[in-house]
Amino acid sequence: MSISFHFYLPRHNRKTIVGLLIPAFFVLALCHQSYAEGIDFDRDIAPLLKEHCWDCHSGKDPDSKLNLDRRVGALRGGDYGQPAIVPGKPEKSFMIDVINHRDPELKMPPDEKKLPQKTIALLTRWVKEGADWPGQMKDVVEKKSGHWSFQPVTRPEVPFISGKKNLNPIDAFLLRKLHDKKLGYSKPADARSQIRRVSFVLTGLAPTPEATEAFIKSYANEPDVAYEKLVKRLLDSPHFGERWAQHWLDVIRWAETNGSESNMYRKNAWIYRDYVIRSFNEDKSYDQFLFEQIAGDTVGAGEAIGYLVAGPHVPVATVGQEPSARRQARADRMDEILQTVGASAMGMTIGCARCHNHKFDPISIRDYYAMSAVFQDIEFGSRFPELAEDHPRRVRGQELYRLIDKHRKILSETGPWEENWTGYRELHFPSVTTQSVRISFQSAYARIDELEIFGPLERDENLALASMGTKVDSPEEMKVPRSGLHKINDGEYGTEAWAGKSSKGSKEKPWVQFTFKKLHKINRIKISTNRLENMQTDYLTGMNRFSFGPYKVEVLDDDGQWNQVASIGQIKKLDHKHKSRIATLKKLNELVEQLSEEGPRPSFVAQLIRPVKSHVFYRGSPETPRDEVFAAGLAELNGKLPLKPDASGKERRVAFAKWLTSPDHPLTARVEANRLWHHIFGKGIVTTTSDFGAAGALPSHPELLDWLAAEFKTPSINQSERKQQSWSMKYLIRLMVTSQAFRQSSFPRIECLAEDADSVLLWRFPTRRMAAEVIRDSILQSSGSLDASIGGRSFRIHNVKKRYAQWFVTDNYGPHTWRRMIYQERMRRVDDQMFTAFDFPDCGQIRPKRPISTTPLQALNLMNSEFVIDQSKRIADLANQDSNGDQSAAVKRCFELLLARKPNEGELKSSLNLAQVHSLDIVCRAIINSNEFAFLP
Amino acid sequence: MNNAENLSLLGRRMLDRRGFLQNTGLSISGIALASMLASDDSLADEPKTVSSKIPIRPQIDPKNPYSPRKSHFEMPAKQVLVIYCPGAVSHVDTFDYKPTLTKLHGQKPPIIPAVTFEGPPGNIAKPFWDFKPRGETGKMVSDLLPNLANQVDDFCFFHALTTDTSAHPQGENFMNTGFTMEGFPSFGAWTTYALGTEDQELPAFVAINDPRGLARSGKNNFGNGFLPAAFQGTDFNAKNPPHNLNRPRELSAQADRSTVDLLKLLNAQHLTKYPGDADLAGRIASYELAGKMQKSIPNVMDLTGETKSTIKAYGVEGGSKLRSEYAKNCILSRRLLEKGVRVVQLFNGSDPSGGNGITNWDSHANIAKTHAMQAEIMDQPTAALIADLKQRGLLDHTLVVWATEFGRMPFLQGNGTGRDHNPGAFTCFLTGAGVKQGFSYGESDEFGFKALVNPTTVYDFNATLLHLMGLDHERLTFYHNGLERRLTNVHGHVIEDVLA
Repeated sequence: MSISFHFYLPRHNRKTIVGLLIPAFFVLALCHQSYAEGIDFDRDIAPLLKEHCWDCHSGKDPDSKLNLDRRVGALRGGDYGQPAIVPGKPEKSFMIDVINHRDPELKMPPDEKKLPQKTIALLTRWVKEGADWPGQMKDVVEKKSGHWSFQPVTRPEVPFISGKKNLNPIDAFLLRKLHDKKLGYSKPADARSQIRRVSFVLTGLAPTPEATEAFIKSYANEPDVAYEKLVKRLLDSPHFGERWAQHWLDVIRWAETNGSESNMYRKNAWIYRDYVIRSFNEDKSYDQFLFEQIAGDTVGAGEAIGYLVAGPHVPVATVGQEPSARRQARADRMDEILQTVGASAMGMTIGCARCHNHKFDPISIRDYYAMSAVFQDIEFGSRFPELAEDHPRRVRGQELYRLIDKHRKILSETGPWEENWTGYRELHFPSVTTQSVRISFQSAYARIDELEIFGPLERDENLALASMGTKVDSPEEMKVPRSGLHKINDGEYGTEAWAGKSSKGSKEKPWVQFTFKKLHKINRIKISTNRLENMQTDYLTGMNRFSFGPYKVEVLDDDGQWNQVASIGQIKKLDHKHKSRIATLKKLNELVEQLSEEGPRPSFVAQLIRPVKSHVFYRGSPETPRDEVFAAGLAELNGKLPLKPDASGKERRVAFAKWLTSPDHPLTARVEANRLWHHIFGKGIVTTTSDFGAAGALPSHPELLDWLAAEFKTPSINQSERKQQSWSMKYLIRLMVTSQAFRQSSFPRIECLAEDADSVLLWRFPTRRMAAEVIRDSILQSSGSLDASIGGRSFRIHNVKKRYAQWFVTDNYGPHTWRRMIYQERMRRVDDQMFTAFDFPDCGQIRPKRPISTTPLQALNLMNSEFVIDQSKRIADLANQDSNGDQSAAVKRCFELLLARKPNEGELKSSLNLAQVHSLDIVCRAIINSNEFAFLP
Repeated sequence: MNNAENLSLLGRRMLDRRGFLQNTGLSISGIALASMLASDDSLADEPKTVSSKIPIRPQIDPKNPYSPRKSHFEMPAKQVLVIYCPGAVSHVDTFDYKPTLTKLHGQKPPIIPAVTFEGPPGNIAKPFWDFKPRGETGKMVSDLLPNLANQVDDFCFFHALTTDTSAHPQGENFMNTGFTMEGFPSFGAWTTYALGTEDQELPAFVAINDPRGLARSGKNNFGNGFLPAAFQGTDFNAKNPPHNLNRPRELSAQADRSTVDLLKLLNAQHLTKYPGDADLAGRIASYELAGKMQKSIPNVMDLTGETKSTIKAYGVEGGSKLRSEYAKNCILSRRLLEKGVRVVQLFNGSDPSGGNGITNWDSHANIAKTHAMQAEIMDQPTAALIADLKQRGLLDHTLVVWATEFGRMPFLQGNGTGRDHNPGAFTCFLTGAGVKQGFSYGESDEFGFKALVNPTTVYDFNATLLHLMGLDHERLTFYHNGLERRLTNVHGHVIEDVLA
């Protein structure tokens, strides 16, 4: 017999579903049935349940969604995600836990005394003996939801709109709905508005006056051809990636600082930002884009997994010493990862299932922890990203290494030398074969987090490592408390270090001796005090100091004699003797600097660690681990992954990424197609762009959304000769911006406002205030100041700070800031004193879409900031230059530069008057502040 | 800020019932309201709050997000002053009298955790200052805060507060935003989002930061999180106006006015193409408000009209330089409240970049010195501020909150000279409108180590603050990323016992 079972869903979606699954424990229960003699359910158990449980836990809308009037309800459990009964296993049965008051905060029945021991014993025995429930023993839990976004994407037929040929399918879907309401599109926007609108949306930059003029001309002849050419040019522009990367970074709240107490800078985290820009510009297929961000380390795009550590985190150093606080902090970091993946790639609020089953969506607490098992090898930190052979950074790195080697060769002709790699020093000397190496310091104190020894044969093999069998010695009397000697060759960088100190009154200085297991040829050492800091952070005062003085390196020869192979003193003498060495070394150190900017260097794009076992944390607390779980996607969406329980972290992430990007996944394509729509039309078809669950909004045009999702995965329209690639974001964007819907006027029509004031049906293009970046970058472009170079280290507007101090703005308007705002260092929760007021996110929480608010602070910043005053002057200067002293021409030029149009008579008159009485600067200042400048036409 | 779901996910059901739709015309506010109703079809039809209470969504006029709005229910408090002391004030050395500590001074604590925030604990330490009975209620308060001690008859103490973290930034986040994590809206942002403000020439929410800088959570403490930027605290103090408030030096007043005139012309012409557009009109209005703020903020910052006796009472003179600056911030607080500013958040301490324990209340070492330094700055001006508010009748409609992120341990840290963090018990107090006076709620254990009687979570505390402002913490929500978010997450109970 089967039974109908209600999973919690909004009422209109509730469906009666017939169960199919037979869980293992159920089979177990059957085996135990014969032992249930003595307990009669109807006589012994049902009255107890009725008396103590069913008041709340029965019927249609039970408390905590726990149904105890059906056996399947008890098997499934409620919001806490624990089965209320596990037949045969009272110790795993949540109902038995709560009637025993195991959790002082969750005692059942509530507000009553504990049940009599006899009753508890009876219920426990009943569970132990298989939870016999006559007539319901074959009922099983069925979980499938009827929610729209979990259903497979099917391609709806494009509606036929009479009288329209070659209609963009997007318009067909939109018009049908408009026609249903007796509405229609507005007339096309004028050419100037079209070029401005599409330029802002695609590249985040205003078109230049010249480009605008040219477009208006060609549009007059062949509007569609001109427009499509324009769209192609904009999509091919490298500024396209800069604009669209920003949208993606918003969702995952990517920033270059940790947040939390010291809000430290994340060194080289920007290489992930550049990866995103590059991916958009190259039109990387979206499935590949997602795959790389989850498992890019397996395919030579190691920087892409910077995605996983985009959110804020609390570093261990500021969590405190309590072990429980440290466990909690790790769980919080895992939660940030799951929020990122859930919000950006799945459109699901996964984090809601951290403490109990999701209240609205079929995501169980077990799903949450199974998903956390996928990412158990990820930690917030730095590593050398894995880069493919043809990766631009790797190619550049090889070029630079070749140059470095050239300089090294020159230096080697005159003797040893020491290179400055900022975080560590690297000493080179002629190759020598030995089994023992001694480093002796000339200072009374030396602190070393790691000392590495290399040879010419295996260039990257650190021979000093304890794991290579190398032994270390140092004089016992010089030992500094809490600084074990083993820390010098344990392979761990950071504050855990060895330190040696001369004994009081003794002239003997600290030294360390390394003895290899066998003879090795060696030619260089790397030495540092805290190399980790240099790998992970930057812009702190007092970084990269070396707590050791000059030193010498000696090796033991066959005769038991120590021979010096290099010393800092000797190098100084050599430099004095061969003057050219200094210049060569300087050049070499510059190349090293360059390498850290342009080549593959340690970058805050996640650290990989060994995965530990994953458990369901009861009530979300790491202090109460329950059942072990294994890496999986959402059970509701067939998330079981083909993995062995002991799969490596990489294998887990690869399997998960494949599940996520499978063409059958109902969410992936829908969520991204909708997100692209949101950024183009200002509002998603699903307005809750990162929540496609039951708490989110329903699609305004469900068929259009599904058609877009289907078209995204399998393009059907041949726009050119070549076959259109799958998952192309540029393709989908082109479809959207070439629609009539996008190209129509934004002016209001009174009869349509009455029907659809919010323009949800798109009877006009809805205007909106532009984002902080667009306003800023367009100002810079108008003044001709914009440095259009793509990528690289972020420009700085903040101080170099002390460890526990705050960042503050030092200069947010000077020439070094004249790059696009996506390159402004993105500090969590720091006010940039300019554009934060324009809803620029604080990067604390995911931001699938920005609110668009209006505050007087925006007005003050845009009227009075040094940035605007300075830029106004530059625009005026440019206009004056272009107009040879003709003031009227100069005023017109200001309007062109900022608004790509000429002033009308009234505007010209007022502006000219203003320019004559005061200056042209303030005309520009006024235009920059105007609504026309700030709103999408 | 016209996101459909933000304006209408649930409120529209109520609106429907009230038949608003029929009455909606096409005036500017009509469009705004119509847009609130437009997406009926596109939203799920079940309430999506965990508590299943229906949210009360503030009806925000896009033309002026700061226009005053009704509270959920009538309460005396219309404004709120939060005095925040970053770094964790030691409750056992100030307001939470524990004679047992004196009795067992120097002994090993009987209840001893293996490790606290910074490491292993040391021996029990008696209070570093003597306690005496104060006022008519005889409340025991230490000599560290003699001025505040005189006013205890007006205060309502919470002695059994507990928090979820023993790290400062997370603790500050928790107290001020209701979450230990980053990025949630602050109490002040929630309050102004709900209530707007009475005065239309000053910011609705002012954050007066310590002269030494921002506290450890920085902007989080007064940020808007995912609420619209309009509801963030405006950051200025008696010394420094908000950034970009004043017209640049190189511009004459006349040139500045002329800019505004040209701007008006440009905007008026543009608006003719978009008749009735509330967003455009709202942006125009924001420039008018900015213009008013350019006058009203310097006026409110100008303390020259304050009487000598006020200057003296607040301790502007005769103390440390830091006290003088903090005292001026206290006077500024009163002036802002007088003008009707909805939320004033006043900080007494910053991040610790100046050295451990010197820039805030964090006293891991040498608590005798560091707490004394902080108290010298905080005590007299704060006491004078509260007395001044009372004397001027402002306390009748102003809630005052004095808060810190956690307490300090009853034993020494290591066996040093300071106390480590104690998340298990700490003290904050309220006074003013709607609050029971001369009352203490909850008790910590005999050591001040853990909350014992009526343990009170930060959620409860914040729920109570909102309640005192006439707001139901379960119904003041904002849709963000799948949830109707609240200041109190899914927790919190209003502590009825402290209500007057």
